[in-house]
Amino acid sequence: MALDPVARAAIVAALGPDDVVDDPVQTRAYECDGLTGYRVRPEIVLIPRDAEAVARAVKACHRNGVPFVARGAGTGLSGGALPVADGVVISLARLKRVLEVDPENRRAVVEPGVTNLEITAAVAAHGLYYAPDPSSQQVCTIGGNVAENSGGAHCLKYGFTTNHVLSMEVVLPDGELVTLGGDSPEQQGPDLRGVFLGSEGTLGITTKITVRLLRTPETVRTLLADFPSVAEAGEVVSDIVAAGIVPAAVEMMDTLAIEAAEEAVHAGYTVGVPAALVVELDGPIEQCDAEFTQVKEICDAHGCTRLHIAGSPEERAAIWRGRKAAFAAVGRISPDYFVQDGVVPRTRLAEVLGRIADMGDEAGLRVANVFHAGDGNLHPLVLYSAAAGETERAEELSGAIAELCVELGGSLSGEHGIGTDKACSMPKMYGEEDLAVMQRVRDAFDPEGICNPGKVLPTPRLCGERPGKYRPHPLEESGVIERL
Amino acid sequence: MSDREGTLTALKPASLKEAREAVLDTAGRISVAGAGTAADWAGRLGPVDAVFDTTGLSGVITHNPGDMTVSVHAGTPLRALQEELAKHGQHLSFDAARVADGATVGGLVATADAGPSALVHGTLRDLVIGATTLLADGAVVRSGGHVIKNVAGFDLAKLLHGSYGTLGALVEVVLRLHPVPKAVGTVVVECDLAEAARLGREVLASQLEPTAVEWLSSGRLLVRIDSTDEALPARLERLTRLLGDGAAVAEADVWGEHAALTRGTEGAAVLRIGVKPSVLPGVLEGLPAAAATAGLGTGVATVSVPGTAVAEAHAAVHAAGGTSVLRSRPADLDAPAWGPPPSALAVLKAVKQRFDPDGRFGPGRYDPWEIS
Repeated sequence: MALDPVARAAIVAALGPDDVVDDPVQTRAYECDGLTGYRVRPEIVLIPRDAEAVARAVKACHRNGVPFVARGAGTGLSGGALPVADGVVISLARLKRVLEVDPENRRAVVEPGVTNLEITAAVAAHGLYYAPDPSSQQVCTIGGNVAENSGGAHCLKYGFTTNHVLSMEVVLPDGELVTLGGDSPEQQGPDLRGVFLGSEGTLGITTKITVRLLRTPETVRTLLADFPSVAEAGEVVSDIVAAGIVPAAVEMMDTLAIEAAEEAVHAGYTVGVPAALVVELDGPIEQCDAEFTQVKEICDAHGCTRLHIAGSPEERAAIWRGRKAAFAAVGRISPDYFVQDGVVPRTRLAEVLGRIADMGDEAGLRVANVFHAGDGNLHPLVLYSAAAGETERAEELSGAIAELCVELGGSLSGEHGIGTDKACSMPKMYGEEDLAVMQRVRDAFDPEGICNPGKVLPTPRLCGERPGKYRPHPLEESGVIERL
Repeated sequence: MSDREGTLTALKPASLKEAREAVLDTAGRISVAGAGTAADWAGRLGPVDAVFDTTGLSGVITHNPGDMTVSVHAGTPLRALQEELAKHGQHLSFDAARVADGATVGGLVATADAGPSALVHGTLRDLVIGATTLLADGAVVRSGGHVIKNVAGFDLAKLLHGSYGTLGALVEVVLRLHPVPKAVGTVVVECDLAEAARLGREVLASQLEPTAVEWLSSGRLLVRIDSTDEALPARLERLTRLLGDGAAVAEADVWGEHAALTRGTEGAAVLRIGVKPSVLPGVLEGLPAAAATAGLGTGVATVSVPGTAVAEAHAAVHAAGGTSVLRSRPADLDAPAWGPPPSALAVLKAVKQRFDPDGRFGPGRYDPWEIS
């Protein structure tokens, strides 16, 4: 079933040939996102230059019943931007202007192709920054962040994309251009903005985003602490929370993750310790200092074997480099790996880690753990060798870990999204009726089902198929992005 | 509604199962009601056959203090929940005025209400992490979950936030909690709105991290700091210095006056408006407001105006790029509850159509937009 020539001509005509890629060699570059195990070559790739052109493109797809998938930088880890066979990919790569910086109202208006970090770069001179900080922030785009409701290490204190977007201009699946949200947090009716955010590109395409900006904190204090066990480190997190402190970030790594990170970037972590915590506090100086002293005391009370306090911005950057390098670095100690993104209630961290270790032993595979300990978002890395025929076992273990998180009262995904990857696991987390009502939302926005079909909600067609083996994304191989 | 009470079926379920049965067993139109603290907000309720009273669905379902989340039945008064949570040094970071009047968690979500601390903590759309919702056809949908970080599936609680009972009845709500600040202080400056706006800009450009920056039409600017015992005095002192000679740390609770002004003046129409913070003073100066509270960092204000000025006020707010909705008003006032509809009105209608095709829930709440 190829794309109907009349439909093709209409879609190409909507933008003009200069903004269309349909050479099979070139369209191959769009066949996957950061989840490289799934690949589908799109029929046509459209690269519109502005919001009106996106609307024209969508309108042409809608009129001709052709499915389309929006794409930002292609760094997503759940296959949310996986093309549809015989369908269209609409790349937002050319919509990359910062349209307005408004320091007085602490907001900026940007196009979807602007990267997360470019927003902060554009506003930093005003003492402002954009808070959500996914690890891929150098390359991932704000449009993709809106689609995935991206988080980051600092979302424990500052929240997720949804908490920092005031409004979006979106092209609905019928090509209408509308605004969701407004100039203030006051709503005009149900929060359509909020349901669109994190819908993984299934409800429309964002063409303009008004983000909230925060004043940079007066001070930031960061420490790296080693512990004799993951359980002790977990208790430190509990005690910090119990003391009424809300840290900007609390990250944990286990032996294997530390080993890999240290080998890769030599950030000053202690190789061989069972667990390391990165704790960061920020805010007005008096309060930050007082709470930082408390955190140090809590670390000592739990048998901390080494406490390293960042004494300069460079030392702080080194600590974070080690933490952020851990994912890509795992490639140094294992030929292949799967990454998971499950969440558990924070108080069940020790339990889930114990069970993951047991499951790994049982499967005869190693699992490295790097995670956001403050909010219970795990990133277990299942290490395996495809050459040794371990792929299937690793895949099973990886899936079982995500489902274990649900069983412990958590979620399949904390920040990577459901996309193609975990759509078939959705029935583990939600009942049939829940999913049916979510489908009603989708139908309300996209009655024809042409906007990023096959994502988020399970379909028989999708769930009858098996994912392929992990292959690194080109950006990952070149060290530009990391899998987090 | 009270004059029709004799003909109304009263539904007061005490469990999810009863709630579902009640909705399935009732023909016709239904209004969802909590404690009744916002019964006349938004569009005037049209004729209904039954009232679905959520107050029988009350109490904490699970609270694990270590996880800083709580799930509650939607009819739980937030005031009661806060008392319960306080025993563990936690609270929902939310301070809308009507919490003190007994407003329920579900009612506060459905009306998208918020208080001064929305500047830092956002509104309930930012604090609700999961929900169980009952639809008009008896479908029960769970969305979100019990963890603060979760991107699995559509976030249906967002749709319920600000839905005024038109899309479904919230039955259970899961909330993200924060530690109760150990020490709280407020600095007060007596000043007019223009001066307050100037000072507000300075405070917001500083790194003093206020939790709330509100101007009251009684001529006072209130800036609140949530902190610890050790740090509060120094933070208040720096704030007082920044605000200048007229500034002083409040001795007593000054927020009661804020709540009273937000509730509105007797006999007036109370409008909730939201605009860009920088245009808020100009918009307020142009309204014949008898009372007002203005969030200088959020751009959200609550004003009491004569009933005759409502339509004009909607138009003025809309012209400034903002949104407005009518809250309490005189019983006989015939004025539009909403300003011009949003550009996504067609989506709103489509969602209503999919969730409640027969238009059973909350008729009239979105008039004059006619969503069903």
